[in-house]
Amino acid sequence: MTMTLILEQTFNGLQAGVTLFLVAAGLTLILGIMDFVFLAHGAQVMIGAYAAAAITGATGNFYLGLLLAIPVTFASGYLLEFLIIRHLYQRDHMEQVLATFGLILFFNEVIRIGFGPAALYSDLPPSLSGFVEILPDTPYPAYRLAVILAGLVLALAIHLFVSRTRVGAMVRAGANNPMMTAALGINIKILFRLIFATGACFAGVAGMLLGPLTSVQPGMGEPLLILSLVVIIIGGIGSVRGAFIAAIIVGLVDTLGRVFLPALLRLVIDQAAADGAGPALASMLVYILMALVLIFRPTGLFPAKGS
Amino acid sequence: MLGYLVDLMRLSRDGIRDNRLLWLLIAGFALFPIFTHFADLPFWNDVAMRIMLLGMAAMGLNLVLGYGGMVSFGHAAFIGIGAYCVGISQFYGITNGWAHLLFSLVACGAAGLVIGYLALRTSGIYFIMITLAFAQMLFFLFVSLETYGGDDGMSIDRAAFGVVDLYDPLRLYFLTWICLALVGLALMFIVRSRFGVTLRAIKSNESRVEAMGLVPLRFKITGYVISAVICGLAGALFASWQEYVSPDIMHWTRSGELMIIIILGGLATLAGPLLGAIVFLLLEEMLPWLLGVVAPAYAENWMILFGPILIMVVMFGRGGLVGLLDRWWAADKAGRSVR
Repeated sequence: MTMTLILEQTFNGLQAGVTLFLVAAGLTLILGIMDFVFLAHGAQVMIGAYAAAAITGATGNFYLGLLLAIPVTFASGYLLEFLIIRHLYQRDHMEQVLATFGLILFFNEVIRIGFGPAALYSDLPPSLSGFVEILPDTPYPAYRLAVILAGLVLALAIHLFVSRTRVGAMVRAGANNPMMTAALGINIKILFRLIFATGACFAGVAGMLLGPLTSVQPGMGEPLLILSLVVIIIGGIGSVRGAFIAAIIVGLVDTLGRVFLPALLRLVIDQAAADGAGPALASMLVYILMALVLIFRPTGLFPAKGS
Repeated sequence: MLGYLVDLMRLSRDGIRDNRLLWLLIAGFALFPIFTHFADLPFWNDVAMRIMLLGMAAMGLNLVLGYGGMVSFGHAAFIGIGAYCVGISQFYGITNGWAHLLFSLVACGAAGLVIGYLALRTSGIYFIMITLAFAQMLFFLFVSLETYGGDDGMSIDRAAFGVVDLYDPLRLYFLTWICLALVGLALMFIVRSRFGVTLRAIKSNESRVEAMGLVPLRFKITGYVISAVICGLAGALFASWQEYVSPDIMHWTRSGELMIIIILGGLATLAGPLLGAIVFLLLEEMLPWLLGVVAPAYAENWMILFGPILIMVVMFGRGGLVGLLDRWWAADKAGRSVR
């Protein structure tokens, strides 16, 4: 029984981890290469989820919804960079926080007007609504498994793109030293815009995948944004590899901590105290992890910037 | 001592308009209840109260954010600690309001010391994020502390402040006003003192300050603790005024709000945070009303205007409102001297 529970929760942690990675992958590059504090990345998650839910609702086909929502999120990221963000690269971090905070309020309100304040629930397609036996007698929701697989495939694709292609080399060079990269004749402005749009796209995909698992509502991206910031800081700003490892760690620590920490505490201290402290400690766990990482390695586990 | 005062006078010349504006605003808050009394608008006393409290917290944050150049994205945590100190000490039967305030200040000072010591090892984006992380940590701590109400928060009886009977809401208003004036006075001296000047020097060039034989970290931590204590005071007053405290008070968006207020008003100015709080909360009150007149169906969606206003402020408003007033004053003076 406990083995089943541990396995199940590990899979849940993995699923949380890969979706976190999809949000963090673009954001770590935005923070690293453009040195831009972009808080409205959570809004991209929301836009993706709503686009997918709306298109699925209109066409009745879940996969078509996913497919058609991707260009929507790409376009929204591209337009946002073109209209507003590119004017803010030269500003200091504080002003970037303020402007992107304004964007969050704006996008939440647009969605609230367009779709109403209530949460949307989208049904799973019949092909993914069943269970899969990951071990004999251990059923696991097929959709969550599909999310894990999709996330891993996308992570692999991002990894290959960043480490094997010419544009990927430009991205890495940009994360290491943007000025020098521009001096070598690489059009860093176009690079910025494409990274931004692609990052928005991945965040949108995370939103689409999470849509059927959580409620699709205004502001749904914000908790995910905060967690992905934690991931980015732990992994090292600008490092896609670091973001992946940190995302999996954070996903597992958060999920497993919430389930098992109260039980573990009960072994050490008496039950009443454990029941009080367990949930408190569990919800603080990822932030404690981040603070510890920053105290001992102030630039994260895999810093991308050359020193 | 005399030399020190002369120093102070000399230094304060550059901020003389800023000083004047600050005391003008504070005086305005003292007279405001008279206006609301005769105009029969008691609701606006509440708005003024909120402005004073948010303004006070923003003034505290401005010491590190504006003067010290440390972008803390987690100061809502100190407001929360201050507020919860009131709630928790009352939970254990301590009803003396002065004791509440004392607990809040001590707790926030201690929390500021620990968080500042750990967070100030990092800088730049990492500092923004680690302060956010600490604030989130405390947020979730209070969310999961069921004893103190957890998610729903806890209600608080209005505290007894000895001779000052606070059952009359106006008394609490004036207690807050006195605190605001004290904070303003303290900050006026702090930013012009040796300590404040060093803090500002660290902002513009930290290694140079270090080369002069000073230890920047000490100054930064001290500044951080002072600002934490001011935010804690605002939080404690907020809790006794609302007679209620919940984790909502320290939600991360509140830290964003404080930053917005400072940038709106003017970074590294004394009057800026207060002016910013006035404009911020007035916008919050007026925009729904304005939308209600123009498009009644969308009155609730006032943030759709508020968001773009913030972006505009960043894109076009250099130096915030105080900067704007300063430029206007300067232009006025230039115009007069030509004539």
